[in-house]
Amino acid sequence: MLRTRRSLRHRATPALLLAPGLLLFLVVIVFSALRTFWISLHAWDGFGPMTWVGLSNYAELWGDPQFWVSLRNNVIWLAVFLLAPPMGLAIALLVNQKIRTMRLAKSLFFMPLVLSTVTVGVIFVWFYDPSYGLLALLFHAFGASPPAVLSSDTWVTFAVVFAALWPQVAFCMILFLAGLNTLDEEIIGAGRVDNARGWQMLRHIVLPQLRQVAFIALAISMIGALRSFDIIAVMTSGGPFGSSTNLAYQMYQESLFSYRFGYGAALATVLFAIMMVFIVWYLLRLLRDERSA
Amino acid sequence: MSDVKLTSVQKYYAAFHALRDIDLTIQPGEFVVMVGPSGCGKSTLLKSIAGLSDITSGRIEIAGRDVTRTDPGERGIAMVFQSYALYPHMSVAQNMGFGLKIMKRPRAEIDAAVRAAAEILRITDVLDKKPGQLSGGQRQRVAIGRAITRRPDVFLFDEPLSNLDAALRTQMRVELATLHKRLGATMIYVTHDQVEAMTMADRIVVLRAGRIEQVGAPLELYRNPVNHFVASFLGAPRMNFFEGRLRDLSAGATLEVPGLPEVTIPALAADHGLRPGNRVTLGLRPEHMRIDGRGVTTPATLRLAEELGRESVLYADAGALRTTGSDTGTESVTLLLGAGTPPPEGSTLQIGFDPADAYLFAEDGRTVTAPKSAP
Amino acid sequence: MYPRQIPETRPVARLAYAACVWIVLAVWLLPVFAIMLTALRTLEDVMAGNYWGWPDRINLWGNLVAVFTQTDMLRYFLNSLIITLPSTALVLILSTMTGYVLARHRFPGATLLFATFIAGNFMPQQVFMIPVRDLMVSLGLYDTFGALIIFHVAFQTGFATLFMRNFIAALPNELFQAARAEGASPGQVLVQIVVPLVRPALAALSILLFTFIWNDYFWAIVLTQTDAVKPVTAGLANLRGEWASSWNVISAATLFVAIPPVVMFFLMQRHFVAGLTMGAVKG
Ligand SMILES: Nc1ncnc2c1ncn2[C@@H]1O[C@H](COP(=O)(O)OP(=O)(O)OP(=O)(O)O)[C@@H](O)[C@H]1O
Ligand SMILES: [Mg+2]
Repeated sequence: MLRTRRSLRHRATPALLLAPGLLLFLVVIVFSALRTFWISLHAWDGFGPMTWVGLSNYAELWGDPQFWVSLRNNVIWLAVFLLAPPMGLAIALLVNQKIRTMRLAKSLFFMPLVLSTVTVGVIFVWFYDPSYGLLALLFHAFGASPPAVLSSDTWVTFAVVFAALWPQVAFCMILFLAGLNTLDEEIIGAGRVDNARGWQMLRHIVLPQLRQVAFIALAISMIGALRSFDIIAVMTSGGPFGSSTNLAYQMYQESLFSYRFGYGAALATVLFAIMMVFIVWYLLRLLRDERSA
Repeated sequence: MSDVKLTSVQKYYAAFHALRDIDLTIQPGEFVVMVGPSGCGKSTLLKSIAGLSDITSGRIEIAGRDVTRTDPGERGIAMVFQSYALYPHMSVAQNMGFGLKIMKRPRAEIDAAVRAAAEILRITDVLDKKPGQLSGGQRQRVAIGRAITRRPDVFLFDEPLSNLDAALRTQMRVELATLHKRLGATMIYVTHDQVEAMTMADRIVVLRAGRIEQVGAPLELYRNPVNHFVASFLGAPRMNFFEGRLRDLSAGATLEVPGLPEVTIPALAADHGLRPGNRVTLGLRPEHMRIDGRGVTTPATLRLAEELGRESVLYADAGALRTTGSDTGTESVTLLLGAGTPPPEGSTLQIGFDPADAYLFAEDGRTVTAPKSAP
Repeated sequence: MYPRQIPETRPVARLAYAACVWIVLAVWLLPVFAIMLTALRTLEDVMAGNYWGWPDRINLWGNLVAVFTQTDMLRYFLNSLIITLPSTALVLILSTMTGYVLARHRFPGATLLFATFIAGNFMPQQVFMIPVRDLMVSLGLYDTFGALIIFHVAFQTGFATLFMRNFIAALPNELFQAARAEGASPGQVLVQIVVPLVRPALAALSILLFTFIWNDYFWAIVLTQTDAVKPVTAGLANLRGEWASSWNVISAATLFVAIPPVVMFFLMQRHFVAGLTMGAVKG
C-alpha cells in the first residue's frame, strides 16, 4: 500500500525534530565517554601520537598509592553523603508547618543549593580558617586551640565533604518537602484515627509513602558524592600533598598538569565503572516504576 | 453507497488480539451505537476508524474511499472524546476553529463556521472563554461544536456523555438526537448506557472480546438476541437465566428445570440442532414474569420490592429455582411489574410465565427458540 | 498535612515554633552571614582580626568598587552571561523537540535512547573531559565561548530532554488524538499544542539550566585559558589566589557571583522547586 506524501512527511518530522539534540548528545557526550575508554589503553601527552599500551595504565593504577588515597576518599564521600537524605528529611519536617514566616524560611534553607560550588568552597575555606574562621571561634569558646583542618591530611577530606554536604542537604530537603506535599491526606487521617503518633506515624505511615522520594534523594546523593570535583579544586586543590584528592580530581591532575592523558583516562574509566553501578541501579528502578505506572 | 465499510479488520496490541475479523457496513446518515462490556474493544474500533490507531490487517472505507492508511486528518471524520480533550490554552472559538485553521481556510470562513456551530449548540456567549472556565455540559457542547465545524462525513463519539450528571445526560442525549436529524450526518457512538443505546441508535452493534456478536435495530436485538450474551447484555433489569436439561423434542422443547414443573417451549428455530439430554438455559425477561398464577408457576418468597412509581422491580427467592449470572449476584428471580402496589416483602407469591415468551439457549450459547415477532 | 500542624488557636506555640525554626536557619546560614558581614568591612578591619564583630565602618561600596575596578570580575560576569544565556535558550529549544518525540512517538530503541540520556546526565564530567577538550582543540574552539556553549548545550540536553519528556508524557493523550483527528501534523502539534502547554515546564527548566550553567566551574577551567572568555566561577577561584588576604574584597566578589542565580531563584522560586522535583535529577 502506498502511503501518501503527506503521510511520509508526518513520519519524517519526528526524526527531524529528534536529530539535532540527539546528534549533539551522541557526538559530544556518548562518543566522548567511549573514546575515554579507548584513550585509557594508550600512552598520550595530549598533542603527539597515541601509543598503544594495552592495560598497562590500569596495572599502574593498581600500584599507585595516590590511586588508593583517591579511592579511599571517594568512599568517605559516599559514606558522609549518606547523611544528606536523613538531614534533608529532618529539615523538611521542621519547616512543613503553615505558619506565616515558614515560606520565607523554606526559601532561605534552599539557598546553599543555588550558590555555585565555587562560592560554597570559598565560604567554607573562610569558615575553617584556623585564625579567624567560625570553627576557630567555636574552639576558642570551649577554650581549645583550633585545628587547621584544611592542612591536616587526616581531617581535610572530612572538612571538604562537610562543606559539600551543605547544598546536598538542601537538595534532599526540597525533594522531601515535595514528597510531604503529596502525602495521601486520607491515609494520614486514618493513622491519626488509629492514634499513631510521632515516631510511629513517621515510621509506619509517612515514610512508606515517601519511599520513592527517599530513593531518588539517596541515588542523587550517591551520584553527587562520586562526581564531586569543584569544591576540592577550590578548597584544597587536592592537598595537602594529595591527601584530599578523589578519582575525579586525580584524573584532572594527571591529565592537565602531568600531561598523562592515557593514565587520566584510565582513572576516568574506573570512576565511570563505579558510577555505573549506581546509575544502573537507578535506571532499573526508574524503568520498573515507569512500567508499573 | 455506504458511508463506512469495514472489511476483515484485525487489530493486535503486541500479542493481544483486540479486534477479531470485524465486518461492518454503515449507511450514510445512520446512527450506529456500539455497546459491549468494558475492554471489549469499542474504543479501539472507533480509533481504528478514526485512524488514531493503525489496524493490523483489513480494510477501512469512508465515503467510498479506501482510508486504511490515510492520516486521521484526511479521513473526513471528527471525533468527540469522553474527556472532551479540549485544548486548555485556546479559547472556545479557537478550539472549534482549530481543525479549519489546520486546513488553512480563510479567517472569515472559520469565523462563520464557528459561529454557526455555536448557535446550533447555544454556546455563542462563551466563545471567548477558556475551557477551564466552562461547566461540564458546556465543555461537552464545545467538543461537539469542534466536530461540527469540520463538516465531517462521519462523527465518532466515544462515551461522550459519561462524565455528565443524569439530568444533563438526558438533555444532551435529546440534543444529540436532534443534531443528528438536523445534520443528517453519519454517527458512530460508543456508550455503556442502555438507554442511550436503545433510544438513539438506528442500529446497535454488540461487541464482545473484539468480535461483533450481533448487529441490528435496537428492538430487534432486544426481541431476538442471537445468543445468551446479547440477551444478557441488553435489557435492564437483566434477563433471568435458569439452567435445565432437555427431555423431549417431539412437540417444541420439553425441559426439566430444577424448581419448576415440566415446561414446554412451543416454537424452536429450524436449525436448533438440539438432542434430548442436552443441557440448555431457559431465559425469561423480568417483564415477562407474572404473579397472577397463570402459565407455568412456582411458589416463591418476596425478598425485596423496589417501587419506581410507574413500575416495580421484585426480587423473589423460589427455592430450588435459581437464576445464574444475575445482575444482583444472588440467585433470586427478578420480576418487573407494571403500576400498582406490589405485595408486601416476605409474602409468598406464585411466580410464573408464559412459555411462549421464553428463550432457550443451547449449551454453546446460541438462541434456539424461533424468532419472535413484534407483539 | 504531616507533621501535625500547630493549631491557629495556640498563637504562642506557633510563635515559639517559628522562633525555633529561625534559630536553626540562622545556624544553617551562618557561613553566608559571615561572607556578607565581611563584604561590609574595610581591609583594616579585616587585618585587625575583627571577623565576627560589627564592622567598624560600612565599606560595601568601597569593596564593590575594588571588585569592579581592580579585578576583572565585571568582564568575567559578562562572559558568564554570554555563555549562559544562549546555552540555556538552545537547550530549551532542542529539548522541547527531543522530549516531544520521545514522549509521543513510539519507535524502536526509544527506551535505550531514554536510558542513554539519563546515564549521560549522571556521568561524572571527567569521563568526557579528555575527548571533549581534544575535540574543541581540533575544531579550533578551545578557549572560546563556542567551546563552553557547545559543551553545555550537549550535556544539558540530556537532562532537559528527560525533563521535557516526562512533562509532555503527562499531558492527556486524548489531546493529541484530537489534534491528529483534526489533521494537525506532528510539527503543528508541537507548535500549536505542546509549546503553549509546556510553558510552565520551560520556565522551571530555564531557571534550572541557568543555575547549572552559571555555576559550572569544571568546564570553565578545562576549556578556557584566557581572561577574555573565563566565566565568573573560574574568575572567583583565581581571585582567591591573587587577593589572598583581602577577604573583604573576595567576599564582595563572592556575593557578586551569587547574585544572578539567587535573584533568579527568588523571582522564580516556585518554578525552581517544581523543576528540581519534577526532574528529580541535578546536572
Ligand atoms: N495501547 C494499548 N496497548 C495494549 N492493549 C491495549 C491498548 N489499548 C487498549 N488495549 C486493550 O485492548 C482491549 C480493548 O480496549 P478498548 O479501550 O477498546 O476497550 P473499550 O471497549 O473501549 O472499554 P471501555 O468500555 O472500558 O472503554 C482492552 O483489553 C485493553 O486492555
Ligand atoms: Mg473505551
